[in-house]
Amino acid sequence: MKKVNALILTGFGLNCDEETAHAFRLSGAVSHKVHINELVSGKVKLKDFQILALGGGFSWGDDHGAGVIQALKMKNHMGKDLLSFVDEGKLIIGICNGFQALINIGLLPGFDKDYTKRNVSITYNDCGNFRNQWVHLTANPKSPCVFTKGIDMADYPVRHGEGKIIADQAVIDRLIFENQVVFQYADEKGVPAKGSFPDNPNGSMADIAGICDPTGRIFGLMPHPEAYNHFTNHPDWPRKAELLKRQGKSLENEMTIGVRLFKNAVDYIKEAGL
Amino acid sequence: MIACIEIALKKELRDAEGLSLVGKAGSYFGITIQEARCIQILTIESDLDDKALERARNEIFTNPVTQISSLRPLDIGFDWCVWVGFRPGVKDNPGATAMEAIRDHIGKSFESNEGIYTSKRYCLKGETLVREDVEKLASELLSNSIIQQFRIFSKEGWDKTRGADVKPAKVILDRNPCFQIIGIDSDEALAKISNERNLALNPRDIPVIREYFLSRAVLDSRREKGLSKPTDVELEYISQARSDHCNHNTFRGLFRYRDAVTGEEAVENSLFKTYIQEPTLRLKDKKDWVVSVLWDNAGIGRFDDQNNYVITGETHNSPSNMEAYGGAITGIVGVYRDPMGTGLGSKLFMGSFGFCVGDVNYNGPLKPPLHPRRLLDGVIEGVKDGGNKSGVPTTFGQTLFNPGYMGKSLVFVTALGIMPDQVKGKPSHEKRTNPGDLIIMSGGRVGKDGIHGVTASSESYSENTPAGHVQIGDPYTQKKMHDFLLICRDEGLIHYLTDNGGGGLSSSIGESARFSNGCVVNLDKVPLKYEGLDMWEIWVSESQERMTIAVKPEHLERFMALSAQHEVESTVIGEYTGSGKLHILYKGETCAYVDMDLLDKGFPAWEFDAVWLAPEKRGLTEPAISSPSDFNLLLLHMLSRPNICSKEWIIRQYDHEVQGGSVIKPLTGMKYNIPSDACVTRPVLSSKKGLAFSQSLLPWYSRIDAYHMMTCTIDEAVRRLLSVGGDFNHIGGVDNFCWPNIQFDEKKNPDGKFKAAQLVRACRALKEACEKYGIPLLSGKDSMYVDGHLEGAFGERIKVSALETVQFSATSVIRDVSTCMTLDPKASGDLIYVLGKTANELGASEYYEVFEKIGVNVPHVDFEKFKVVYKALQAAIENRLLASCHAVARGGLGVHLSCIAMAGGLGMEVDLSALPTDMSRGGLNNETLLFSESAGRFIVTLPSGNKALFEKLFKGMPASCIGFVTDKHDHLKIMGTDKNPLIDLSITELETAFQKTFGDMI
Repeated sequence: MKKVNALILTGFGLNCDEETAHAFRLSGAVSHKVHINELVSGKVKLKDFQILALGGGFSWGDDHGAGVIQALKMKNHMGKDLLSFVDEGKLIIGICNGFQALINIGLLPGFDKDYTKRNVSITYNDCGNFRNQWVHLTANPKSPCVFTKGIDMADYPVRHGEGKIIADQAVIDRLIFENQVVFQYADEKGVPAKGSFPDNPNGSMADIAGICDPTGRIFGLMPHPEAYNHFTNHPDWPRKAELLKRQGKSLENEMTIGVRLFKNAVDYIKEAGL
Repeated sequence: MIACIEIALKKELRDAEGLSLVGKAGSYFGITIQEARCIQILTIESDLDDKALERARNEIFTNPVTQISSLRPLDIGFDWCVWVGFRPGVKDNPGATAMEAIRDHIGKSFESNEGIYTSKRYCLKGETLVREDVEKLASELLSNSIIQQFRIFSKEGWDKTRGADVKPAKVILDRNPCFQIIGIDSDEALAKISNERNLALNPRDIPVIREYFLSRAVLDSRREKGLSKPTDVELEYISQARSDHCNHNTFRGLFRYRDAVTGEEAVENSLFKTYIQEPTLRLKDKKDWVVSVLWDNAGIGRFDDQNNYVITGETHNSPSNMEAYGGAITGIVGVYRDPMGTGLGSKLFMGSFGFCVGDVNYNGPLKPPLHPRRLLDGVIEGVKDGGNKSGVPTTFGQTLFNPGYMGKSLVFVTALGIMPDQVKGKPSHEKRTNPGDLIIMSGGRVGKDGIHGVTASSESYSENTPAGHVQIGDPYTQKKMHDFLLICRDEGLIHYLTDNGGGGLSSSIGESARFSNGCVVNLDKVPLKYEGLDMWEIWVSESQERMTIAVKPEHLERFMALSAQHEVESTVIGEYTGSGKLHILYKGETCAYVDMDLLDKGFPAWEFDAVWLAPEKRGLTEPAISSPSDFNLLLLHMLSRPNICSKEWIIRQYDHEVQGGSVIKPLTGMKYNIPSDACVTRPVLSSKKGLAFSQSLLPWYSRIDAYHMMTCTIDEAVRRLLSVGGDFNHIGGVDNFCWPNIQFDEKKNPDGKFKAAQLVRACRALKEACEKYGIPLLSGKDSMYVDGHLEGAFGERIKVSALETVQFSATSVIRDVSTCMTLDPKASGDLIYVLGKTANELGASEYYEVFEKIGVNVPHVDFEKFKVVYKALQAAIENRLLASCHAVARGGLGVHLSCIAMAGGLGMEVDLSALPTDMSRGGLNNETLLFSESAGRFIVTLPSGNKALFEKLFKGMPASCIGFVTDKHDHLKIMGTDKNPLIDLSITELETAFQKTFGDMI
């Protein structure tokens, strides 16, 4: 069977490449960490891969807006390659800083498949500070998103200072109406946070934590699924493990909901035969 | 041409920075601002035309969804406007990335006379605001005069077309670089020059230096290179190398120790050799996991059969004290270069912090450079930006408050890296330079940064004078360099590398050239931030984010290609030789030529008198305080005290999970808000092994005896590690000493001899603890002058000294992270045990601090007895008998039972009369049992089914069941020694007290 090749961007202050590569590996893909300049110079070709991951970090120090300079650089030097990548039905995921870059390139939300327009913004958290905490997410079952197939709820950590999604109300309404909203911040029961802090950690409009394009093949989210690559990543694991132990059970062999998200992508490529 | 782009958020959007300013103006100064809006300004000096500028503004710097911008001043209304910009030469990170963006997008490269400078404008509305208020905000909140300048505009004084009229903050030195010959005709002459040039040469070193330069052989060999008397470059080199910072003269000094009561006298020839080096080397022989200690930038321990971990800890106290943000970010980014520069280079995988500051609510007459509140805000933010932007999780940290730290605050930063044990088939921890290797400097450029802080501040000031002595770290540049160097390492291109920190090239090249025994350096090749630096300045500048690397000529091409790909600047600046000489040239002219072994030429050791007076002889006694009658109120008060209460807001600002290996986080419990004993990380994601890390700080005990401060600090760090599942057979230590001045001076430092004795005692304790617990010291540092001379109410200056402080860090490797423990009780019906005896040891406790007492019964550590319990505990955890485990620390059982109750969210019923006790230091009543800080104790919970096995394991040891966990109620109920209810508080009440002190901080 053909291997699924995932390209994970590195360089210029990006920093989640190691664990993103690890999560793809656990999902059955071959992970390739590639410096942005290797794509810019043409040494590495985007077309040789089926999944592109723009991971978390502080590209260009987040100066002049998170993900702004990365987006500019990618648009300037590989804009066409990105559009053909999308045209070929391949997958793109942007996490945290990568999500911010996708938004600034215009790959998201991609209304009417126009992948160059910036009509959503991710700005400073309402709480006024960078924040690291775990959040509860509820997934939209009607979303076409390839990555969240079969996932109804997920816990992941957020780690950002600029994670508040804002746009004109009409844009937000359209995202909701067209089921491009993939993840929303919620309480532990899965009820949307309705803006309340800290369930909604940044004040994001409509509790939006992640969105996809109309095809569901481009996905961006602020929380970090790759940071839940092992059962011991979840903050509740010691308690859950102890209580399960008393029932003769264990947490150890379950695939985490973090890895599930990457596996969905890898499985999709396998099934599509790309 | 100079252009300014002004950028602001659209009016309808929340301006988080403005809101924060409104909040702080109110809570810090009682100044009411109705509205504050922040404008970012880019001042661009370039040949870009209007069209190109308009493109840059529109396509790069303005977010179409959220921002407005203009090449003219934005018309945003205000009553007062404050403009704040950097002084020339201060690292302007966003200015640099703006140039990168324009280069990429518009294709414009910036020449040396061009640049981009960022600044800000705050538009304040407030009917009651007057100029004095605005000046206060500008100088005490929005800017620090060391690195920034501000201007204030009133509504009336504002010119809408000129705006703030921001000029480029560029450095113009306008001078030809040169070096000087220094006269050394007499000791006095050299001493005078040392004074004038701020060389800080020790008077006792001066004759040695003169003797060297006046010797016939030296004069002859120098003549060949056109030199006679020493040059300023050479004297600066010696000054750097002999400084306490680089040479650790205090720890290598001679101490005449005398116990004033017993008359015991001892001569300590070198605290370092006796108490650190010797025991560590002995332990290295016994512990096969110790890979490399005592010589490199950081120590190395084995993680698994393919990987080693690297650790070191630093402080960055003095700079943080002057410019808190800049000092702290430079500190953490700087300590991250140590593991990067250890062996052939390691990948950073975690960091930690320790902040010791004065009272944040201080309102007395003393005037520290920065108020403790502002200082704490700044250091928190500095570590936040430095750590987060480095992509390294900050997984542990503590914050302490004590009035002594107002004299000088402490900022501890610790860094850990991971490296494959082999690189291209060779051990990665070994490195050396060889004749013929090229000397390469990679990373940032060189400016006047960090050169002789004091001289810089006393230079006459002009608009273009660089404010270089306080730095701002640049994690972005360093992260690029980190990624680049790891790839070079794996390709086998690096033969030696080290960081440029204190002493700059002078230290990094001076030390690395000792392996090859010589070097030739061409200072004119060193890339500069701006022209006009003298040779000695290039040589000793401490400009950050630089590494020095030895590369073989045949690898140069590949090294440079990778450097270009990663957009890291690398320059060949010389060559290692075997000549026995340190040879420095500038454009072909020799400006330094000295023997490599010059520093071994018998420079005299520093000497100190140390006189010890036992606490009883200093008049310390136990205080006379009767038993309180309201223990509920007392416990709630204890929980709300600054040194006990929740500091969640700090840790939440730090990314503590990046790299995906988080196992035990810094905060834990049902609500994720109780500080963990230690953290555990998986640095190798494919492995189930974990690295446990803990730190302890107990400086209060130094008020009684620094010996016990040291033993208790180490004991606590060990117990914290064991609590999360650490392995007692693998504990690595890092000691970070911060001590007030110990050099006796009748007028300036009358208690210097006592503080010197405290240091000797702490070192003795360090050795004892390390030997008894089997802890090799993987790394350590000292910072010896933690005093401040603060101005008081009447113009007098008062010396304020920090407590004698040691931060002890400890590491352990956990075989299988699934055995890791947290401190929260997990199920109703579980039994609560306390391990270890409680004694009457309230000396210097948090409890006595409530009443501003010290006492004398400082906790003692009984290593042999404790060790037995610790090993049993490790077995209990490895055999999965326990549900939770917590080390009892500051505040004693009362505080720590509360912590686990809050973490578990379940009720607990506890009986103090069941505690294992030790009556040898006096009687025990309810308050001693609750708040004594006796060492060696844990609180554990376990399912009742494990009782028999557990008790068998702990047979003959102090381990007693003191109560149980319940879901019948959600209270912490404690019964006193008389079996009557003493405390009954709901978890909500405990939480309210624990959270309220800093509760509104996010």
